[in-house]
Order: sequence, then C-alpha cells, then structure tokens
Amino acid sequence: MRLGKRRALQAGDATATMTDRNLAYNLYRNTIKTLADPSQPSEPPSRPKPKSRAWALVCSLAALALTLCSTVVQAQDWIRTGTGLGVEKVKLAVPDFKPSTQDPKNSELLKTFDETLFNDLDNAGIFDMVSKSFFPLEVPGNPSEVRFDAWSNPPVNASMLVFGDLGITGGNVMVHGWLFDLKNTQSPQVLGKQYTDTATTDNARIIAHRFADEIIFRLGGGINGIAESKIYFVSDRSGHKEIWVMDYDGANQHQLTHIGSISLSPRISPDGSRLAFSSVTKTNWEIRMFSTELNRMVSFPAFSGTNLSPAWSSDGTKLALSSSRAGDPNIYVCDASGSGMRRLTTGKGPDVSPTWNRKTGAQIAFVSGRTGLPQIYTMEADGTNLQRMTDQGYAVSPSWSPNGQFLTFAWFRKYGPGAPGANDIYLMDIASKQWVQLTHDGGRNDFPSWSPDGRHIVFQSSRTGSEQIWTMLADGTKVQQLTFSGRNSQPNWSWK
Amino acid sequence: MAADTEIFFEHSHLAKPLMWSTGLHLGFWGFVLLLGLVLHGNRGGGWGAGGGGDAIGVALVSSVPLPANPTQTQNVLANESKGLTLSRPELQQVEPEAIPIPGKNAKVKPKPVTSASKQKTQPQPEPETNEVPFGGGGPMSGPYGTFNAAGAKGGFGFSGGGGDFGNRYAWYVRVVQQKVAENWLKYEVDPRIQSANRVYVTFDINRAGQPTNVRVEQSSGVPSLDQSALRALQRIDTFGPLPSDYSGSKVSVEFWFDYKRGG
Repeated sequence: MRLGKRRALQAGDATATMTDRNLAYNLYRNTIKTLADPSQPSEPPSRPKPKSRAWALVCSLAALALTLCSTVVQAQDWIRTGTGLGVEKVKLAVPDFKPSTQDPKNSELLKTFDETLFNDLDNAGIFDMVSKSFFPLEVPGNPSEVRFDAWSNPPVNASMLVFGDLGITGGNVMVHGWLFDLKNTQSPQVLGKQYTDTATTDNARIIAHRFADEIIFRLGGGINGIAESKIYFVSDRSGHKEIWVMDYDGANQHQLTHIGSISLSPRISPDGSRLAFSSVTKTNWEIRMFSTELNRMVSFPAFSGTNLSPAWSSDGTKLALSSSRAGDPNIYVCDASGSGMRRLTTGKGPDVSPTWNRKTGAQIAFVSGRTGLPQIYTMEADGTNLQRMTDQGYAVSPSWSPNGQFLTFAWFRKYGPGAPGANDIYLMDIASKQWVQLTHDGGRNDFPSWSPDGRHIVFQSSRTGSEQIWTMLADGTKVQQLTFSGRNSQPNWSWK
Repeated sequence: MAADTEIFFEHSHLAKPLMWSTGLHLGFWGFVLLLGLVLHGNRGGGWGAGGGGDAIGVALVSSVPLPANPTQTQNVLANESKGLTLSRPELQQVEPEAIPIPGKNAKVKPKPVTSASKQKTQPQPEPETNEVPFGGGGPMSGPYGTFNAAGAKGGFGFSGGGGDFGNRYAWYVRVVQQKVAENWLKYEVDPRIQSANRVYVTFDINRAGQPTNVRVEQSSGVPSLDQSALRALQRIDTFGPLPSDYSGSKVSVEFWFDYKRGG
C-alpha cells in the first residue's frame, strides 16, 4: 500500500516535470516566433509575397511619386533611392539561343555558345540564375516573340531575360543577342547586340564571352566582365615547372615558356603584353621577362643574389621585386626595363612577395620575416610608413584588390605543431584590419590572386590531393576547380 | 496389513532425517544470505562515486579550447533564418455526420445526402507557423533589410522631370542603389551611435556614369555618418555609362542612408 502510494507520487512528479517542460518549450517557441522576424513581430508571415507583389508596390509607389512630382517639372531626371531597400541579385533567365538558319553546323556552335554564355553569367557572381528546367517551352529568338508574363511570373520569376539567335550563312556565324528588363513592358530593351565572325567553335565561345561581358558591364555597375581575362600559372605537366596560361574558366590551357629549369611566380603586366617571372639559372634566381605579343623571351638585366617575386605597378612602368643583392632579401623597385633599382626596405629578415595597391599605385604590401614567422606589412611606395597587418601565425602571398580596399593572402593563423586550422585564404579590409576567412577545411590553400573585376579570387589548393588551380567568388562561395592534370600552382589573374 | 504397518513404520522412521535435512538446507541458505549481506551489503553505495582507486578523472569535452569560428557562417541547412518552403498543412479526415433515421411522424425532413465530392471543402485554418513560403522570405539570410521595412517610409521614389528615367531605366536605378550600398562602410560611423536620422546625399551622374557634385543635402546630425555617406560615393569610380538611348546629359540622384547599429 505504501509502495503503491509512493509510485503514484512519483508518477505525479513525472507529469509535473512534463508540464514544466511543455511550458518551457512553449515559451521557447513563442520567443523564437517573436525573434524570428523583428520587422513584423505581430503579423504571422504566412501569406506568400511573391516578388511580383513587391514590384507592384514599387510600381504603384513610383506612379504615385510620378503624379505628385509631375507638377515640379525639372530640366533633368531625378532618382531618389536609399539604403535598406534590400539589395538582391538580379534574377536572370538565359534560355538557349535559337538557330536562325538551316545550316547543319548550327547545333554544334549553339551548344558551345549557350554553355559559355550561361557559365559566364553564372560565374559573374552578380546574378541569380534561373534554372533552365523552369523555362517555358517556347523560347524567344527575337524581341517580338517575348511573352513577358510567361517569363516574369512563377515559376520562372525572372526580372531580366537574355535571348537571341545564332545562324551560319556562307561560313560566317551571325549572333543577335538581347537583354530585356521583364518588369518594364514599355521599353524593355536594355541591350541589343549583333556579332559576326567566321563560323568556328572558338569564335562562338569568344562571341559568348563578349556578349556576357556586355551584360555584366551594364548590370554590374560599369565594371568590365572577366570573361575574356586570362590566368597565368606554373605547371609541371611538361616535366619542368614552366609558365602556362588559360582562359578564366579553365579552357584553352597552353604552355608559354620552354626554359627547362624551374620558373615561378608569373606576373602579367597591366596591358597584358609582358610576363615577368622568376627562374633558376645556373647560378641563382633571376627575374625573366616574356613577351606575350612576340611569344618569346625578351631581355631583362640579371642582378646578383636571389631575385624573386616581381610585381607590376598598376601603370605598368615599375616593377617591385625581392632581391638579396645586398645581403638579406629586401624589396626593391625598378623600371619596367630593369634599370634604376631602388631599395625600399632594410634590415634583417627576408622581405618577399611585394604587391602594389592596384588602385592608387601608392602603396606596396609585402611579406616580411623580420619578427620571426612571415607576416604581411604595408608601406608607401617610397618605403615609408611601414605597418604590420597580421598579428600572428604565418601569413604569405598577399594580393591587393583592384579597388584598393582589400588584401587577400594565405594565412596559417595558428601556426605550429599540433595547432588547429590549416593554410587558408583570408580577406582583409586594409583600413579597418578586419578580416574574414574565405576557404575552410580544404587542404593547403595558397597564392590567391584577384580577378580584374574584384569579385573573384583564383588560388592554389591541394584539397583534391594534388596542387591545382581553383577560383571562387571573393566572399568564398562558388568554388570551382580549373586545372586537373599535373601539378599547377601560383596563379596570376590578368589585369583585364 | 503387515505391509501397511511396515510402510507406516518406515515413514515415521524417515521424519527425523527429513526435518534435519530441511533445517540444514534452510540454515545453509540463511548463512549464505547473511554472509552476502555482511560482506557485500554496503558496496552498492559507492557506484559511480569515483574517488578511490586508479580511476581516470574525466573532464568535460566542452572545455577543450576549440577555435571559435570567426565568421558567422550561413549554413544553408542549419541556421536560424527562416525556411523558404511552407509545409503542407496536414489533411484532417472528417467523419461524415451520422444521418438520423427518420421517424414515421417526423416533422423535420432529413437533409438530402450530399456526396463527398459535392461537399464544399471547409477552408482549413492556416496554422500559425514560423515558416515563410517560397519567395516570401527575400534573401535567406544576410545583412539586407526587408523591402517593406523601408518601403513603409516611402521606399523607392522615382520622379520624372524631363523624362521618366526611373521608370524607363529601372535596372540602372538598381545598379546605383546596389553600388552605393556596397561601398558604404558602416564601420566608419562612430561606434557610439546606435541609430541616427536619415542622411540625404545628392549627386549627379554624368554620361560616363561617374558620380559628380556629391554633397550632403540634409545632415543626419552625426558628422561621422555624413562623412561615411560621402565617402561611399567618393569610393565609386563609375556606375557604368548612362543608357545609350537616354537623351539627357546627366541624372540627379537623391540617395538616403539609414543607419542603425547592428541593422
């Protein structure tokens, strides 16, 4: 009897705790509910608000503003806008282009063209690409065939549409391409282009690159696209470490130098005509120069000591490099011809890997081992105002962003035996010294280099087991492998 | 008869050893239980108490100094932002109402039986959920304010003068907005400021797309905020050339900056 009572008591306790727990759970749920959306705490966000409604709101507001302000007629146009309106990526629909002639080679070129155009726009990082599986069955080939509601309503929900046609006539390929603003049915055309060239797949690829760059230029705020840029890198595919080049998307890889020793740290000049790199000679490391226009080596004076890591200034008139001609490796600056060497850093410890501020050309960042482990430093181009950027670890290979605002570099933040973390790519805002890690948990990542549009970074990674070239967006997303054979390292993105 | 007596005799003869046997068995088991109680009875209390012997001290794993993630990773699968799909409300099977058998002198006629297909589906009360349906959540996560947050105050305002630039070239307005927002570095604002009045900056965009004539139209009263807004514009080289079919030589823009710490 006593036992039974005790059991009952226990059971009672159990229910008590159960209700307590439920209470706590409900409280928690309610808190979550109110915390979830601070902008609209009271109303349940249950009703679907498709983009079109937001746009309808915009349009109605615009119309209202129009009627209100139509009395105040001014000589020129006004735009009133601000922050906090939500900046989203443009939703872009890129259906396959239509064949405009009956030539049998059309399909082959169309395939290359469509793939290249879609990938270029996808890689740009400023668009939200609509999956092709959502597209209506009828794709337009010219402006009269565009059905606005089919493309701007769900499921496509696009705000911009890229379409056109391609046709071969008499050995020449003709491409018409349009960019339409689907929300603006009155004057939708943003861009209309016509291209013609001899009908080869390479030309189809180039036309796609050009058209993609035009679209990116318009919708990306006046920044040129990178579809025609090149990436220079070191590869041992020929048996020696030589300088190679490829398109930005990894296509068209071929060897540039045939020196037969070891060549490292390729740096293309801002105009793309000359390539500086360091190479082993019989006695030491020297800076060598390759002309991409003449497609052969051109002369550059040999210095004594170890000469490494050349870097072009943004006007292409000067080279910064690391030379040990006077003892420890220090940063020097010389003219593009190799004359007028000037020493910028002094003191103990190696200084290597200079990189110019690409926007102003007034500062140089470099790596110095003066305090032990290598760290990133910046200084003015005359060697004054030395500042240390990294506080700890092992930081190497800086690259200055095209807008002059950021440095990207490889960093072992916790360096030492058994320390957690790995060699990863970091991005630092120079003015505030705030940094963010871009790669995570993927082998050794090193040698980052900025793309000319400042939205991409190419780097070397061993995440697949061997050193290969990868690209990513400058926020660390959309990581893509570009090289697959041999060992490839030290990529350098061209300036345009 | 004699056999019977013999059996009885035998029986009475066995009684004593049986008693002994039982007694000894009971005594033995009693002894065993007693022994167990005496020797091991107290040991149970020490279970899991640790302390004695060569036991290894176990530390909590959470105290291992693992490096904290420096950035707020926005894991798609497990973050605190709302989902993009609305889960389908569970369908409730409604039992058909029992039809009363009509009595002989029933005054009320039975209602005609409606088939299940004819029945109007009652609107399900929408479950109050935390989810946001597809397309309704805006960017899944990130620093962007929702549209209606600022829209309520006026939001986008295009005003037409000589032409209607804002309507015709909405894509260009978008580019301007995005580019300024990208180049506005909030850390330049005095960290003691929690929120401030809206600062209005006006500027012109020439045909090449360069911002010119940048000036503060209406100050927020916070000098560092005004300065950061101006710097955002000064950082921009170009918005891209004005649309080629636009006839004017420049466009004037009024851009406002809403500052809120953490927002």
